[in-house]
Amino acid sequence: MTDLAQRQVAFLGAILDDEAPLPSGWGDERAPGLAIYRNNYRSSLVEALRSTFERTERLVGEDAFRRAAAHHCIMHPPVGWTLDLAGAGFAETCAELFARDPDVAELAALEWAMHEAFTARNTQPLTTAEFGAACAGFTERQWEGLKLKLVPDLRHVPATYDLVRLWTSLSASNTETEPDLTPLEGARCALVWREDERPVFVIRPAWEGTALASFRKGASFGEVCAALIGTLGEEAAIAEAGAMLARWVGEGLVERLDQ
Amino acid sequence: MSAIAPFDGFGLGLRRTHYADFLDGEVEVDFVEAISENYMVEGGKPLRVLEQVREKHPVILHGVSMSIGSAQGLDDDHLSRLRALADRIDPLWVSDHLCWTRTSAHNSHDLLPLPLTREALDAVCANIDRAQDALGRPMLFENPSSYLTFPEDEMAEWEFLSEMAQRTGCYLLLDINNVYVSAHNHGFSARDYIAGLPLDRVRQIHLAGHEPGEIIIDTHDRAVSGGVWELYADTIAQLGPVATMIERDDKIPPLAELLAELELARSLGRGNAGAIAA
Repeated sequence: MTDLAQRQVAFLGAILDDEAPLPSGWGDERAPGLAIYRNNYRSSLVEALRSTFERTERLVGEDAFRRAAAHHCIMHPPVGWTLDLAGAGFAETCAELFARDPDVAELAALEWAMHEAFTARNTQPLTTAEFGAACAGFTERQWEGLKLKLVPDLRHVPATYDLVRLWTSLSASNTETEPDLTPLEGARCALVWREDERPVFVIRPAWEGTALASFRKGASFGEVCAALIGTLGEEAAIAEAGAMLARWVGEGLVERLDQ
Repeated sequence: MSAIAPFDGFGLGLRRTHYADFLDGEVEVDFVEAISENYMVEGGKPLRVLEQVREKHPVILHGVSMSIGSAQGLDDDHLSRLRALADRIDPLWVSDHLCWTRTSAHNSHDLLPLPLTREALDAVCANIDRAQDALGRPMLFENPSSYLTFPEDEMAEWEFLSEMAQRTGCYLLLDINNVYVSAHNHGFSARDYIAGLPLDRVRQIHLAGHEPGEIIIDTHDRAVSGGVWELYADTIAQLGPVATMIERDDKIPPLAELLAELELARSLGRGNAGAIAA
C-alpha cells in the first residue's frame, strides 16, 4: 500500500469513528478541522436518509429517527459511489432497533422500494392488446412454459399493516392525526411500481408477491401455478393466477413475454 | 484531446425545488449546471427533466464522486455511467473536484482534502489521464475548500493545481468562495493564490455562501459574502469574461432570489465594481 493510500485509510478511519486516534504525525491543532469533516460525513448521510424515509421519520419522531440513522451509518458505512444507496439495509436496521414496533421496518421497506422504483430503467410495457395478440392461439403447453419479463421498477414488500392507510396518515399535510396502524387480515404484501414517473403501491395477497419473485427468478407460468396450488387449492390457483396475469398486464407491469 | 473553448455567461445550479421553474418558464440564465451523480441513474423523472432543460439551455455536468485523488484509482462503474450521461446530454463540459471521497472499503460522500505532495500529484494526474481518456474529453477540476492541512505538504495548493493542469491538459473550475474559505482557515493570501494559478486554464467560476467563524465552513446555504464578491471582482478584472455561476445546495430560496444574486455577478462581470456596495 502506498503512503497516500495508508494516509487515506487512516483519515477515513478517523472520520468514521469518533474515538479513533488522530492519524500519525497529526498534532491537536488539526482536531477542529477533523471534527468538521466528521460532522459533514455524519450529517450528509443522515440528511440522505431523512430525504428517503420521510414517513418513517414522521412515524418514529425526529430524535428517534436521527439516532437510528446515525446507528445505521456507523454499522453500515457507505461503500458505493452514489449517496442514493445510503439507505440500503435501513429497513433491517429499523427491524433491529424498533423490534417491538414492526410497523416501522415495514414502512421503511416500503419507502426504500419506492425510492428504488423512482429511478429504475425506463421501459415500454406490453399493452393488453399486444399481450392478447402474443398469446392468441397458445396451446396449454405454451401457457405452462410462458415466462414473463416484468418491468424493472416493480417490487414487493411484506405488509401486515394497512400501508395505504398508514401512508396517508403520515403525509406531510396530515399533521393532526395519529399514525393509522390498522392490521391487515391474512398474509398480504405491497406491490410497488412507477406510474407517470411517480412510485405507487397497492396491497395484494402475499402469494402475488411470491409469484412476482418466482417470475423474476425465471419460473414459468406453469411453475407459478403449481406453487399456488399448495396455497389456494387447484381450482382457485388456476383462476387466481389467470386473473393476476390479466391484472398485471392491465397495470403495465409486464415488459415482454419469454418462452 | 480537444480543447475547451471559453464560454462567457452566467448560470445557476439545477436543483429539484426549481424543476418547475426551468421546465415551465423562461429562466434568464446562459447555462445550467447539474450535479452529475443525480442523473447517473437508469431512468425516471430526473433524467427526463435534465433532457428537457437541455433543450432550453447549455448544461454543465458537475460531479462530486469521481474521487480523483483516490490512491486506489477510479471507480469503473462511475466512469462508465458518467460517459453515458455525457453522451446523452452533450454538456458544455464535465467537471469534478480536486479531492478524494473513498478508500477501497468505504465512501465518505464528502470532499476530503489531499496532502499537497509529489506522490499525491502523481496519483491525481494518473487518475485525470484515465478519466479524460474514458470520457473522450478534457475535464475541469475545482479547487476545494478545506479545514486542515497536512504536515507532509510539499507545495502550495495553487502550485499543485498549476502542475496538474500543465501535466494533464485539464482545465480549472475556480471556486472563489473556496479560495476565500481556505485562505482564512490556513492563513494564506487569497489574492496570492489566484495570482499563482494559470488563469488561461480557468473555464468557469463558482460563487457560494459560507458560515463565518474561527474556521469558516463552506456551507452553500446562504448568499455570497461581500469578501467573496470583492475577490470575484478582482479576479474577473485579471481573467476577463468567464462562465460564472451561483451555487446553492442547502436552504435553497425561490429562484427569483438566486437570479437577483446572479444579476450582481453579471454587473461585476461587466466591470461595474461599484455594484458590490449597491
